[in-house]
Amino acid sequence: MSSSQTRSPEAELGLLDATMIGMGAMIGAGIFVLTGLASEIAGPAAIVVFALNGVVTAFTGLSYAELAASIPKSGGGYAFVREIFDDLSSFMMGWMLWFAYMIAGALYALGFAPNFLELLHVYGLVPPPAQVGAIAVPVVDVAVPIAFLLAFVAVLGLVALNAVSTAASGSAETIFTIVKVCILVVFVGFGFASPMFSGAEFQPLFPDGNGAAAVLPAMGLTFIAFEGYDLITTVTEEVENPRENIPKAIFLSLAATVVVYLSVVTVAVGTLGAAGLADAGEAGIATAATSFMPTGLPIIQNGGALIVFGAVFSTLTALNAVVIASSRVAFSMGREGQLLPSFGQIHHRYGTPFVAILASAVVMLGSVALPTQSAGNMSSLFFLLSFVIVNIAVIRLRRERPNMNRPYTIPFYPAPPLIGIALNLILTAVLVEYLLRTDPLALGLSAGWIGLGGVAYVGLDRLRTPSANDTATVDTEEDTNNQ
Amino acid sequence: MTSNLNIIIAGGGRVGFRTAEILADRGHDVTIIERDERTVSNIADEWTATVIEGDATDPDIIEQAGIERADAIAALTGVSGLNLAVCLAAAELAPGIRTVARIDSAVGDAYTRFVDAVLSPERAGARLAANEILGSDVQTLADVTGTLDIMLVRVAEGAPAAGKQLTDVRFPAGTLIVSDDDGQRIARSDTTLSPGRRYVVAVEPDVAEEVMNLMRG
Repeated sequence: MSSSQTRSPEAELGLLDATMIGMGAMIGAGIFVLTGLASEIAGPAAIVVFALNGVVTAFTGLSYAELAASIPKSGGGYAFVREIFDDLSSFMMGWMLWFAYMIAGALYALGFAPNFLELLHVYGLVPPPAQVGAIAVPVVDVAVPIAFLLAFVAVLGLVALNAVSTAASGSAETIFTIVKVCILVVFVGFGFASPMFSGAEFQPLFPDGNGAAAVLPAMGLTFIAFEGYDLITTVTEEVENPRENIPKAIFLSLAATVVVYLSVVTVAVGTLGAAGLADAGEAGIATAATSFMPTGLPIIQNGGALIVFGAVFSTLTALNAVVIASSRVAFSMGREGQLLPSFGQIHHRYGTPFVAILASAVVMLGSVALPTQSAGNMSSLFFLLSFVIVNIAVIRLRRERPNMNRPYTIPFYPAPPLIGIALNLILTAVLVEYLLRTDPLALGLSAGWIGLGGVAYVGLDRLRTPSANDTATVDTEEDTNNQ
Repeated sequence: MTSNLNIIIAGGGRVGFRTAEILADRGHDVTIIERDERTVSNIADEWTATVIEGDATDPDIIEQAGIERADAIAALTGVSGLNLAVCLAAAELAPGIRTVARIDSAVGDAYTRFVDAVLSPERAGARLAANEILGSDVQTLADVTGTLDIMLVRVAEGAPAAGKQLTDVRFPAGTLIVSDDDGQRIARSDTTLSPGRRYVVAVEPDVAEEVMNLMRG
């Protein structure tokens, strides 16, 4: 074993940092943006929705832990699937994951806008955003262009930042996450103490009409909130002792996130009521905070402003994270020859995966025109599908490579990945059915993206075949670099 | 289509592991086949390569290492005959794969009838093995003290830095382009990185992959 040289980049993130990266992605925008939307569908049962999503995600988390510990590649789900599946399947995995991240970017940008308006309102700079819930609805309304513009500018700004300079390190992410969690702890603390909460009414738990069935579509919508641990597996190379710390970080971050979500949602539903939360839409948590936080404080004037600031800060940092994550998927695909080679190249002047970032930006900017709920639904749909593939990958890897060294193995295998596949597929089916009824546009766009992927795959295949046979030797591989 | 390759290394001992490390630093995907359980566990701690535990002459084990997608296989265990067998089996399973065998003693050259490249451990350490696996476009010139690599790198057509002047390219800190075209003079800021030409490059291991991306695409 070598002693003089360590692997690169230097392993400098500890268990805490890795956990915080996962939590940072999960306790990002989702909690602020999606709580209101979930209450709209499921009423007070939004609490149940987040709890169940945590359970569903945990099964796939086990699969991620096994893959991340045994396949030393920093690339997240796509890298693992690429290791195991043939060209077409791994291409589709990357293609879907790429889209899921881009749409998540649009979702966070759309969540940023109303929260930013709420922040301005708290300081009395704009009139009360009574129309906040309506902002993302594409009807003719004065508020629509403002929010759209804000979301557009936010995406543009962060894309420009990431295109010309390399991103902030993992330790900055740790500080961001601690700030976010502290703000939420303050929120939960004041919420439980507030007189509004003591009269909290969680009955009826399920909304009229649909009853308990309403939980399922709401789970589909909010599933994206728990996708964040994929991000831990994209920085694995920088984590010390990854074969122990990565699985631990995945479970710790997931558990902590579920606890935080449940407390926050309980307080929000308890104080504002499910109906009030639903009315506030993307600014649900911010509005709840404004209603019970103390006022007249020095400097920040209003306790609610702190939470609103947290919402603005979270949506922006989450947006930044998915700009990086989406471009990284496209970059890996370019490196593997699954997208045009230029996607897998570092820009000679900026030192960033420039083409991958720009391509991601185009889709993100286009998606900002979507209603928030459609963006959430589409992103969730694609994460569900890619999680199904990740679970299948674990099972296939066990069968095809039984002798592969696995520092972490899933307990009670094969039950967890099978249950994961089943639950993700059930949610996918529910979500598709729900979209058929309520949002055919989102479903059509999703199908369109998959169709476009098919076209791109065939096109790239045509581009390749004249110059190289499928079993390329080192020499022919180098020749094809010249195209 | 890109220059990052899938490489299998049979034998995760000192030479095998060091080779894997260098290759992984340059952005290649490495799978190690190793029989000894304790060595497997040590490699896993370093998290450099996927490890298949088993006998590298077993066709089933070679297949588990992903032979059908591999660009090259290097048999680097301490046993010459075993290494030769691994390469022959691999070539049988995946015709066209580049094979590199570690062969002890002076008879090494005769084996090039069976494998693409031979190296002998007396003079060739892990750095040389990496060179052989990658072919002639990227070559390590010297095993300098410490961890620094000095390499001869051919700029690939279409690479991000191809055709650009040095002043226009942001190489990561820890990189030094030493020579002008084909080593005629020392590089200056107006030196152009012409595709097809070779340049002497000094690089720290943790930025090697990025430098390779810029110069090789």
